[in-house]
Amino acid sequence: MNGFLSYVNGSSPLHKLHPLTKMVMSFALCASCFLSGNHVLILCVIGLNLCLFASAGGIARAVSTLLSFVKFSAVLFVLQLFFIKDGTPIFTLPLGITLTYEGVMFSLLFVLRFLASTMPLALMLSVTPVGDISNVLVRNLRVPYRYAFVITTAARFIPLFSEEMSGIMEAQTARGVEFDTRNFIKKIRLLIPLCVPLLISSVRRIENSAISAELRGFNLRTRLSGYKRYSFGANDATILIACAALVAVSASGIWP
Amino acid sequence: MLRFDRVSFSYRTETATISDVSFEIGEGEFVALLGENGAGKSTLLRLCNGLLRPTSGRVSVRGYDTATTKTSAIARFTGFLFQNPDRQICQNTVYGEIMFGLEYILPDESERRRRTDETLALFSLDGLGDPFGLSRGERQQIALAAILARKPVLLLLDEPTTGLDYRECMTVMEIVSNLNAEGTTVFMISHDMEVVADFARRVLVLSGGRLIGDGPVRRIMKDPGVLREASLLPAQIPALAMTLGDSFANIFTIDEMADTVGQRALARQTSVGKTS
Repeated sequence: MNGFLSYVNGSSPLHKLHPLTKMVMSFALCASCFLSGNHVLILCVIGLNLCLFASAGGIARAVSTLLSFVKFSAVLFVLQLFFIKDGTPIFTLPLGITLTYEGVMFSLLFVLRFLASTMPLALMLSVTPVGDISNVLVRNLRVPYRYAFVITTAARFIPLFSEEMSGIMEAQTARGVEFDTRNFIKKIRLLIPLCVPLLISSVRRIENSAISAELRGFNLRTRLSGYKRYSFGANDATILIACAALVAVSASGIWP
Repeated sequence: MLRFDRVSFSYRTETATISDVSFEIGEGEFVALLGENGAGKSTLLRLCNGLLRPTSGRVSVRGYDTATTKTSAIARFTGFLFQNPDRQICQNTVYGEIMFGLEYILPDESERRRRTDETLALFSLDGLGDPFGLSRGERQQIALAAILARKPVLLLLDEPTTGLDYRECMTVMEIVSNLNAEGTTVFMISHDMEVVADFARRVLVLSGGRLIGDGPVRRIMKDPGVLREASLLPAQIPALAMTLGDSFANIFTIDEMADTVGQRALARQTSVGKTS
């Protein structure tokens, strides 16, 4: 079963890129959303993310992830609306709540940024094995192995935790807890007690991993070792130029 | 009680995990589900209470179609024990854990407290104990206690004895067996053929998502074709009986083996005595 942050095996051009290129691409896609305040540009970045997912053979997963985030974004959008009171009023609700044009536009920008910035990380992790990320962090970015290990282990644990949470919810549903309710607030309330088993199982799992690493001589490493070599190709250069262009356009304000 | 009618199921990215399975389990039965790893046993058990919905065919529990009934509604009369008790336990005390499951079926708090006390006594559990500080076997017992407190009419057990020592295993199975004797239907996955031989009365055998055997435990345990296809080894006494030949064909338990061997030894002694 694949979580939305887990690696999907494949041989697409995206899979074959240098891991560093994929990391830079992911960062550039995220950065462009925050550098630009233009709704259309951010929508284009979301579209670009979907196209990249499609080229890597993961469009179904990308769409289902996006749809699940859209539900959450809708809640964020509504909450955000109520907090912004400055600007041109367009609608007044009971209890004196006023919706403003600026509030709507800012809330929209907020959720579009949220959607657009979550996808590149998922894209990068779905086309790059965690081991490759770790190797690149150590070899190319000179990150100490200990820290690279922490980062990659955290990335590896996210899908495991998500799977664990699904298992816990399944176990609770089987004993009558109504996770199959359509009431979002009720669902959130029911989720709170489940943090306990998730925390317990996570701590147990992490402790086991730490002991296992320790027993295999993790602390005895004195020099780097690794057999994998990555080479930059024409595709990497093209992608890096495109990323630079995207960041430049977003930052320049050509598209305000 | 439970009916599978030409049920098939597949996960999104995989080929059929369960393929055209049909069977029916009546009230009060004790049925074991056997098969090698990856045969689809856990998937089939999840189909029983609506945690998974069939891709085709129909699963009904007490007449409720699992495709159209909420899992939480089916859970009102079914109990499901998972392999890993830590996915179920979510309260800081054993008492709280048992009460938690009852909140969804018993609105009356005094009744919930009475039922919890009764369950704690049945399992000899300390209500104030911290469930997370106990051994795996004890946590499994707490998970089972929390389910049984709800008095389900259908008990679904996914390898309830995995990771338990012999004493813990027997404690859990005897409680399940007593409940079955009182009328609760039990459908259990197990890899432990001794447990299956000792407690189940009917066996379903799954291989590659297909049902390849369904019958009394005594017959299936001695069917070399089915056992071979499902990569199973029979329990020790039926295996010994099969090795000893046709005259031991009906022997299944230790007591039956002891009686037969005793009778034969006596007969042999008598005949030797007569000849000498």
